[in-house]
Amino acid sequence: MRKSSLVSLAVSLAFGANLAMADTVTLDVTAWKGNKAEPAAMPELLEKFHSENPDIKVEFSYISRGDTDVVIPPRLQGGSNPPDVMMVDMPLVKTWGEAGMLADLGTDSPWFSQITPQVRDSLAPTGEVFVQPLEIVGLGNFVNLDLLAKAGVEQPPKTIDQLIDACKKLDAAGISPMLFSSELSGSMIIAANGIYGSEVMPWDLGSGEASFSDDEGFKKSFAMTQALIDAKCFEPKLQAGLDPWGTSLTEFSSGNVAMLPQGAWNIGSFDKQENLNYVFTALPGGAETGIALDTFGMGWAISSSTKHKEAAQRFLAFFADQENLGEFLKADSGYNPYVGGPSGLPELAQGYDEARSAGNIVMWPVFMNHWPATMNQGLNDGVAMFLLNSSDGPEEVLEYWDEAVEDSM
Amino acid sequence: MKNKNSIYLFTIPALIVMVVFFLYPIFLSIQMSFTDFKGVGVANDVGFKNYERIFSRDRYFDALGVSFSFSFIVVTVQNLLGLFFAAVLYRLPAIRNFSRAALFTPSMMSFVVVGYVWQFIYSPFNGGLNAILSTLGLEMLQRPWLNDPSTALFAITAAHIWMFTGYSCAIFLAGFANISKDIQEAGRLDGASSWQRFRFLELPLLAPSITINIVLATIGTLKTFELPFIMTGGGPAGATRTLSLEIMNNLFGQYKFGFASSLSIVMSVVIVTVVFFMNRFLRARENNV
Repeated sequence: MRKSSLVSLAVSLAFGANLAMADTVTLDVTAWKGNKAEPAAMPELLEKFHSENPDIKVEFSYISRGDTDVVIPPRLQGGSNPPDVMMVDMPLVKTWGEAGMLADLGTDSPWFSQITPQVRDSLAPTGEVFVQPLEIVGLGNFVNLDLLAKAGVEQPPKTIDQLIDACKKLDAAGISPMLFSSELSGSMIIAANGIYGSEVMPWDLGSGEASFSDDEGFKKSFAMTQALIDAKCFEPKLQAGLDPWGTSLTEFSSGNVAMLPQGAWNIGSFDKQENLNYVFTALPGGAETGIALDTFGMGWAISSSTKHKEAAQRFLAFFADQENLGEFLKADSGYNPYVGGPSGLPELAQGYDEARSAGNIVMWPVFMNHWPATMNQGLNDGVAMFLLNSSDGPEEVLEYWDEAVEDSM
Repeated sequence: MKNKNSIYLFTIPALIVMVVFFLYPIFLSIQMSFTDFKGVGVANDVGFKNYERIFSRDRYFDALGVSFSFSFIVVTVQNLLGLFFAAVLYRLPAIRNFSRAALFTPSMMSFVVVGYVWQFIYSPFNGGLNAILSTLGLEMLQRPWLNDPSTALFAITAAHIWMFTGYSCAIFLAGFANISKDIQEAGRLDGASSWQRFRFLELPLLAPSITINIVLATIGTLKTFELPFIMTGGGPAGATRTLSLEIMNNLFGQYKFGFASSLSIVMSVVIVTVVFFMNRFLRARENNV
């Protein structure tokens, strides 16, 4: 009797476990955050998600941004084995969304109306929303306060005049004022000031409706760059081929240069550098506060052929919750894409925050799909062309950019 | 008759592999080159638009020019150096094996590692090369090697040559090993100096090794993208952008799979044409030796 009871109990338990397994949905999620180098609080957040959603098991795969281009498209194209939820950026949203591979999340989603207007305007150009934003990335100016103090510069420069003044003082003190690599740093300052001073919208320039050659904002931006060269802010020919991902970062973190326009994602690694007393400010430019150059970092998208749409939506809703998103942003030093949401930037980014609060924000046009992907390379090449022959003026560069836009059509 | 049929039967597995892994992808690339395929979704037919774009833009001719320049410099210098080291090591049997292994080692290293190491050497800020020039009192020769369009391509070719000189040397050494000792002995008995034996005996008999080295190096360098990609990303202002790098940028930077396919078809035609005539010339030269 006792033996048969035990058998019955074992059978019931096994049956029950099977039922529980059958009710659990496995969600295939891919992302380029969440590894050891860039954890972005993902392990903690996934643990929390599992405890709040015991019926969903997230199978999380880290796939680097570069590998995402190679690994995900065949899975999407095949249609039989796509990830349910994918981390995407705007170029991926454009390519995969236009091809019908991403589900429309709807402008009636509860989080959509909460997105900051600058980002929201770019998310649904055709009325369909393919991405739920996670992070806005700040592109600003890293300033070494100790080097500035040595040269007698009291405040990090916000305007071009202040920057020119700081460059002169730093140069006189034998300190290298700033790095201006054609890729990233130089492109950031020229594009931010060009767009800020332009009378047309960036997407008009990117669609060919307006021309770079005729744009007064960009002409002024190049004139400003020439003024920086004249003030010995940097040696232009040295910057034309400077590596922004290696050499530039090493030079700034080693304390060899006073200023470096770069992305806020470097805050984490600069913080680990001993004796580096620095702040992150807006890019010096036409606005009194400087210009905050924001860009869409990344977000979540759901595959249009997912079999677990409801579970995928719950996963997205979890990350739309400000408490959870705040943890992610804090770990990744990112800005909140929602109005009034907590920022992940530390105190040292106060200068950048001020420019954002004052509304002096320019969205980085390539990563917002305002400019076509051909402009990514075109921008770097154009700035390098100018740095190599700045005395020739910007006309050739502006024509080159018009051609790059035409190449995308 | 039966035996003859069996021979054909045995070629079938190899033919299947060739068709599936070589011919079919080429056919697919040609087909894709006439579309606007973006890696996912539907591929729309665009006719010759991609090819029109290639032939109406200077940048692709510039990229082809960079590829040819890169190839010419590397093939010439790498083979001359390889031949020099092989000729020296042939005369020094005591250190031949060790030196051959040492020279060959860089070619087994990853392009990524080599690229970053050389980028550090060329760095305008305390880079190794500029530091050596400074130590030697040659400050006037210091420059931002990878940042200056007039030196960037040469700087990258130097890294490539450093990597593959040992590879060329190994092929030349194999050629030296095939030269009959009797011929060398006859040369010595006739009173030929070491240089005369090299110039009039060894060099002509090395013709097959020269053909292999030149053809392999030409194919490898005309489609190179690794070192330019790692060391300069094609910059400054396109000075080191090879055609392969252009293809890479179109594929993964802009998701223009159709256009990148048309560029790769153009590159294949160029490489096949160059190598065909080069091979014909070198084979004819071998026969005249």
